[in-house]
Amino acid sequence: MYSIVRTAIVQGIKSIPVFVEADMSDGLPVFEMVGFLSAEVKEAKERVRTALRNTGYRLPAKRITINFMPANVKKNGSGFDLPIALSILGAMDIIEKEKLKELFVIGEVGLNGEIRPVHGILPMLAEAEEAGIHTCIVPYENATEAELVKQMRIYAVHSIKETIDVINGKRYQRKPKEQKPLTEEKQPDFSEINGQHVLKRACETAVSGMHNLLMLGPPGAGKTMAAMRIPTILPPLDEKEQMELSKIYSVSGLFSNREQLIDKRPFRSPHHTVTPQGLAGGGSIPRPGEISLAHKGVLFLDELPEFKKDTLEILRQPMEEKAVRLVRMNGDYEYPADFMLVAAMNPCKCGYFPDMQKCRCSSGTLERYINRISQPLLDRIDICVATSQIPFEELTEKREEETSEKIRERVMAVHERMRYRFRNESFCYNSQIPGSKIGEYCSLHLKQEAYMEKMYEKLNLTARSYHKILKVARTLADMDGSEDILQRHLTEAVCYRNIDKKLWGREV
Amino acid sequence: MKYQYWLSNIEGIGSKTIQKILRYVECAKELYFLTEEQITSLSELKEKERLKIIEHRKRWKLDAEWEAFQKKNIGFVSQEMGEFPEKLRYIENPPYSIYYKGQLPDEKFKSVAIVGARQCSEYGRLMSEKIAEALAVHQVEVISGMARGVDSYAHIGALKGKGKTFAVLGCGIDICYPTENKKLYKEIPENGGLISEYPPKTAPRPQLFPLRNRIISAFSDTVILVEAKERSGSLITADFALEQGKDIFACPGRATDGLSTGCNALIRQGAGIITSVKALLEDMGISEKIMCKEEPSLQNIQNLLLEKDESLVYSCLDFRPKSLEEISLRTGMKTQYLSGLIQNMIEKGILKEIFRNYYIRV
Repeated sequence: MYSIVRTAIVQGIKSIPVFVEADMSDGLPVFEMVGFLSAEVKEAKERVRTALRNTGYRLPAKRITINFMPANVKKNGSGFDLPIALSILGAMDIIEKEKLKELFVIGEVGLNGEIRPVHGILPMLAEAEEAGIHTCIVPYENATEAELVKQMRIYAVHSIKETIDVINGKRYQRKPKEQKPLTEEKQPDFSEINGQHVLKRACETAVSGMHNLLMLGPPGAGKTMAAMRIPTILPPLDEKEQMELSKIYSVSGLFSNREQLIDKRPFRSPHHTVTPQGLAGGGSIPRPGEISLAHKGVLFLDELPEFKKDTLEILRQPMEEKAVRLVRMNGDYEYPADFMLVAAMNPCKCGYFPDMQKCRCSSGTLERYINRISQPLLDRIDICVATSQIPFEELTEKREEETSEKIRERVMAVHERMRYRFRNESFCYNSQIPGSKIGEYCSLHLKQEAYMEKMYEKLNLTARSYHKILKVARTLADMDGSEDILQRHLTEAVCYRNIDKKLWGREV
Repeated sequence: MKYQYWLSNIEGIGSKTIQKILRYVECAKELYFLTEEQITSLSELKEKERLKIIEHRKRWKLDAEWEAFQKKNIGFVSQEMGEFPEKLRYIENPPYSIYYKGQLPDEKFKSVAIVGARQCSEYGRLMSEKIAEALAVHQVEVISGMARGVDSYAHIGALKGKGKTFAVLGCGIDICYPTENKKLYKEIPENGGLISEYPPKTAPRPQLFPLRNRIISAFSDTVILVEAKERSGSLITADFALEQGKDIFACPGRATDGLSTGCNALIRQGAGIITSVKALLEDMGISEKIMCKEEPSLQNIQNLLLEKDESLVYSCLDFRPKSLEEISLRTGMKTQYLSGLIQNMIEKGILKEIFRNYYIRV
């Protein structure tokens, strides 16, 4: 009177296999569940009991024990209902135990025996597949997501009754997929931005070297518009990256019946009231935050000074490690967070500084505004570009602008170049060159070195900002197809150097 | 002296009240030795004011306070003394006493007040500095209020011209306000003086500043407005100047410039217009001894010997900050090329980056 069934929980974007055992023996009639269960799993008992009765199976008056293995991992989520029900049915000999052993099962059960969808199907099935399972039972509504795991045989079921029939080999009719007309979402494109060549150039440079970018400009100067188009010039995602990204979205329940893996670079633009948990991920059972949802894409922080300081400080460590680790009592959760940071801000509260004819800020207001920007975050930004409002003629003029596709081709060529250069290194983009290797990869000719020395004095650079200029110059040279960093690359890089807070007060 | 010092230190008793008191008594000393009944009988004073005098007299340690003050290296002069500046004596509501660091303006020399907006534009900054410098070169004393913006630049210009400059403060003489003017606060007493009618330790308060403007205009023969919005403190100075019968000059701005509306309105009402530093000197009757080497104007491009592209960039800039984007738009040059060009021109000292990627002519 014993049966076992395989299911899983997700932790981070990884999945841990969990086995549900049911044993039925003589004794006082009791229904007991053990194995480090969270509240929602404990409640499964009542759901399963009622659902089985409504399907036509009454629990026998015996001692029923359900155990979850491994016992040291906290079990949470609503996906255990169906495995519990099936293990009981197996123990009752209603379904074949042997077949049950080879299955992977997940799903929530309603009181009428209906099966409801769960989150995180993708990582769980991917893990089961690696463990050598070839058949699985999933809720019907998760079918499209489940079918993305190619080697799996998927049984998508509506009810417990149908599940029993499927396992006992009676019949299974997968309803033919409704052919949804493929509505290709219209992607934004850089060709839709008129003019703004400086801004576009800065965006291209930032993407080419994977530098973080800060845009500084008055309201309505096209900062958000440009930021939204940055993902379109990043190289396309490869299969592994697509899977990783899809897993993150699956875990957060944002996958929503997609028929393919996520193949577009994400663009996340959290509002400035976002909490540290919302940004980095959190909760007692941690969910991925905005930085993980922006994995392999762009995290756009509009109105940078409006963000709370402690919210931004939280970005520091994930930006270094390209992942965020959340330690909880019931285990460590790791979510990847390899994103490009794009921030935008007005130069002052009203937005028009340094045009004093328009700016209405007093120097006190200015100072307060600037002091809200977190310095540690600024330190992680390589390129800073000022934008300005474009005149009306420019807006309405019809002109051929470069498409994202064209820019992306150039970006990919530069990335290829970098991959070759850094083939023996642990990093692959110019922005990641560590301080110790700057001399090796960003060496200058004597004349350029003299120029930089002069600039160092004149612009009050620090060692850090000096290195950033060199890295950006390296990228500009790569874009130019030049192995040496030339004068013109340096002058342009100097143009993009980071803001320092002194800029606002005019020197006396 | 110590009695006068006492009188000027009574909280809540300002210059106007002191004028009333001086109609009853000859000097501060006499007031100090009046009995309480006598003070109570000063009918023109308000009840509150009489009480304040009596209360304050009880608390005030006459000798100790005076000794402590003398150690501070602050000058003190009151109406009762011969050294009191004549220019201040006959204005409406004259200050009873003034405190100063450094010197007081020398009445032998011409003096000019330069005032204007705190949030000034680059144009305001340039005009203020250049005018002050030219005046200083011609031994004109430059008087202003050490506020941010135009005032500060006027002091800076005067210091550059190696002339004398005086700052009339709206707070106690021992307080540097605004704090970022620390350098000016130190340098002005060495080349002129800091002046205040308020006793030391008086914190800067908004209502004190309009009042000090009457002293700025009183000290000067001519008042120059550089940039002023429609309703601003600078216009208060202009009003005082009119009352006191001083000449007023204003720097014109474009009709659409919000920062110049006040100046333009004054010109419309008949104030002198400043078309150039040279013309200003002429209007003021100062014979130009030293040629002004730099007239604040857009330099003639031909004189600069620029390359073709450089002159193209130069010609689309002026004193209004323009961004890299705008320059690129007007010249049609690419960023990668333009950035080098601009860096070069900054190097030559004909352009300046006043904000990230915003440039003006020098």
